[in-house]
Amino acid sequence: MMAGETRGKPIRCRAAVCWKAGEPLVMEEVMVAPPLAGEVRIRIICTSLCHSDITIWKLKDPPGCVPRILGHEAVGVVESVGENVSEVTEGDIVLPILMPDCGECTDCRSEKSNLCSKFPFKISPWMPRYESSRFTDLKGEVLYHFLFVSSFSEYTVVDIANITKIDPNIPPNRACLFSCGVSTGVGAAWKTANVEKGSTVAIFGLGTIGLAVAEGARLRGASRIIGVDLNPDKFEIGKKFGVTDFVNSGNCGNKPVRQVIMEMTDGGADYCFECVGMASLVHEAFACCRKGWGKTIVLGVDRPGSMLSFPSFDILHSGKSLMGSPYGGVKPKSDIPILLKRYMDKELDVDKFVTHEMRFEDINKAFDLLIQGKSLRCVLWMDK
Amino acid sequence: MEKKNSSETAGKAITCKAAICRNPGEALVIEEIEVAPPEAWEIRIKILCTSLCHTDVTFWKMDSGPERSFPKILGHEAVGVVESVGEHVEEVKEGDLVVPVFLPSCKECRDCTSTKSNLCTNFGSKFYQGMPRDGSSRFRNMKGEVVHHFLFVSSFVEYTVVDIAHVVRLNHEIPADKACLLSCGVSTGIGAAWKVAEVEEGSTVAIFGLGAVGLAVAEGARLRGASKIIGVDLNPEKFEIGKKFGVTHFINPTACGEKAVSQVVKEMTDGGADYCFECIGLASLMKDAFNCSREGWGKTVILGVEMHGSDLNVNPYQILRGRSVMGSLFGGLKPKSDIPILAKKYLDKELRLDEFITHEVNFQDINKAFEFLSQGKSIRCIIWMDK
Repeated sequence: MMAGETRGKPIRCRAAVCWKAGEPLVMEEVMVAPPLAGEVRIRIICTSLCHSDITIWKLKDPPGCVPRILGHEAVGVVESVGENVSEVTEGDIVLPILMPDCGECTDCRSEKSNLCSKFPFKISPWMPRYESSRFTDLKGEVLYHFLFVSSFSEYTVVDIANITKIDPNIPPNRACLFSCGVSTGVGAAWKTANVEKGSTVAIFGLGTIGLAVAEGARLRGASRIIGVDLNPDKFEIGKKFGVTDFVNSGNCGNKPVRQVIMEMTDGGADYCFECVGMASLVHEAFACCRKGWGKTIVLGVDRPGSMLSFPSFDILHSGKSLMGSPYGGVKPKSDIPILLKRYMDKELDVDKFVTHEMRFEDINKAFDLLIQGKSLRCVLWMDK
Repeated sequence: MEKKNSSETAGKAITCKAAICRNPGEALVIEEIEVAPPEAWEIRIKILCTSLCHTDVTFWKMDSGPERSFPKILGHEAVGVVESVGEHVEEVKEGDLVVPVFLPSCKECRDCTSTKSNLCTNFGSKFYQGMPRDGSSRFRNMKGEVVHHFLFVSSFVEYTVVDIAHVVRLNHEIPADKACLLSCGVSTGIGAAWKVAEVEEGSTVAIFGLGAVGLAVAEGARLRGASKIIGVDLNPEKFEIGKKFGVTHFINPTACGEKAVSQVVKEMTDGGADYCFECIGLASLMKDAFNCSREGWGKTVILGVEMHGSDLNVNPYQILRGRSVMGSLFGGLKPKSDIPILAKKYLDKELRLDEFITHEVNFQDINKAFEFLSQGKSIRCIIWMDK
């Protein structure tokens, strides 16, 4: 379809629709409405699967909902723009990003925050500006959005606040990674923790986020990067990302993980990252970080209703900090181009995150691979 | 008590008065004890004055746990003059004005040599009932029984023995009662605002608990140019007092009706305070303080010593929205370097200390200080040894 021909009209295209929580997505034709004012319609080039897609896919209760078009890590080309959009034009290569960036509110204008207050981040079924959907199935039934992106579709509509224009020369099967996972991990190491040369770092969970933290810490000159995971295969994989030591949390014998790490680091790591999404691991990470200046950074998302619990004496007496890092503290429109440039200058290596590539049709296989712990990033090509 | 020339008493035990706590929660009893001379690395101090901090009250009442050791000499906020020094002590000499502090510094370990930490590795991992190097006591009652120390200071006594790691030397220029305040509470609050939170101009601050620590946080925040300093306290009188320290808004939790305190703070600050401080020692309030913090960058600083050993519960979704929580002892300050800096700021009239002193009593009336504090009537009551 030539871009000019479809402008202003609904587009009929393929999408992978989730009709029931936890069940394989159904490849079917859907209708994608034209963008409203402030919105952009994108033709997706490729998209990758992130564990957060799986977490919400499985959820029967809110914020899970069906029928929904999942996917939030992608790269695409602008097909048409709604009124009042001047930041991008047809033909631009863009990343749709779950984290809104309006550029105008107090948070967006502050260096210290990446949580836009004009379009608050949430796991919403709708578009952010109008709280409505641009997707319907062929019978006219509304299909829900996901994380303001919904990239498991040949075409999607995204608010301009969720769009970052990028250098068109970047290979799409690398660019899409910056839309979520890689940026989150590298951002957490660089922005939230601000890992400095010679630091010791402990990373709980060596998925894409954890490995991106490792990569970010490695580039900052961390002297030790300890990876903690239940899967022993993750050590070999982790080495490529800078992991220097491995702790198999399922195999420490009688010792709790915290003791192993305290002994390894002679008192605790300078920075501990929780990249799984389990309250119990956050506690473990907090226990492993060094008194005086240790920082524990939480990246993983646990089930709604879970609670973090710390003995008050530990918080008071240890001098440790606990902090959350939404999207690695990354401000999409300003920071993503910087990260991409580091990739193009061959300082940041993301090729090793892509373990599988397949066609969009095979999306359910991508789910299987990730659930089985066999992949890091599986890139799905819309047109191959 | 007749004034003793230090050279006469050096190397010998001193018989003097102490306010002894025999059982949890019971009024202190003034009685004579013997104070041994300082051993190697220790100094013996003639206390000039001491003040009551709520942490003394917390441990005074504590009926169980490792801190439960009686009889003991409480008190950890004080100032005195060096009466004699043990072997190897070169940092201070007889006649020097010193402030004993509960927080040690060996000056050599990784933490002491780093600007980022004030948690000495070589000392201070446990709060023993005795001297830090070997746990023994320098106090005996007249029956020869051991009287336990408290927080490595024990200042409710005319003479105490303190390890050099717990001593800060000051110039004699600063009046004793002001120096005494820098030994704990006021330094903790100022340090928390300046060093731990790093309050900047224009910030909004919420302070839970307007005791000496909370008011010191307010003073510290005010000096940094905070635009709003919200004080939260159950005692409405604390607002008038708080205004003197820079508190701009006051919340009485019992007068909020249906609204939670965190909601009131969020409305006052358009989404939450930049910095929240818990200065009481209750896990439920630590949680409230956290819930008042602004998403994106809000920092919550825990200063209170939890009275019941309860856990702090935090919602991970709230943490993931860019908030952080941290605790600190002594406001992150390094006693030996930072207390003299605060003393100088007081003398240069950059830092106010006088307003913290609301009451003064003689040593024999020390139990009145406990009453004033328990009734919420005092901020700091100075207890003079010799008046």
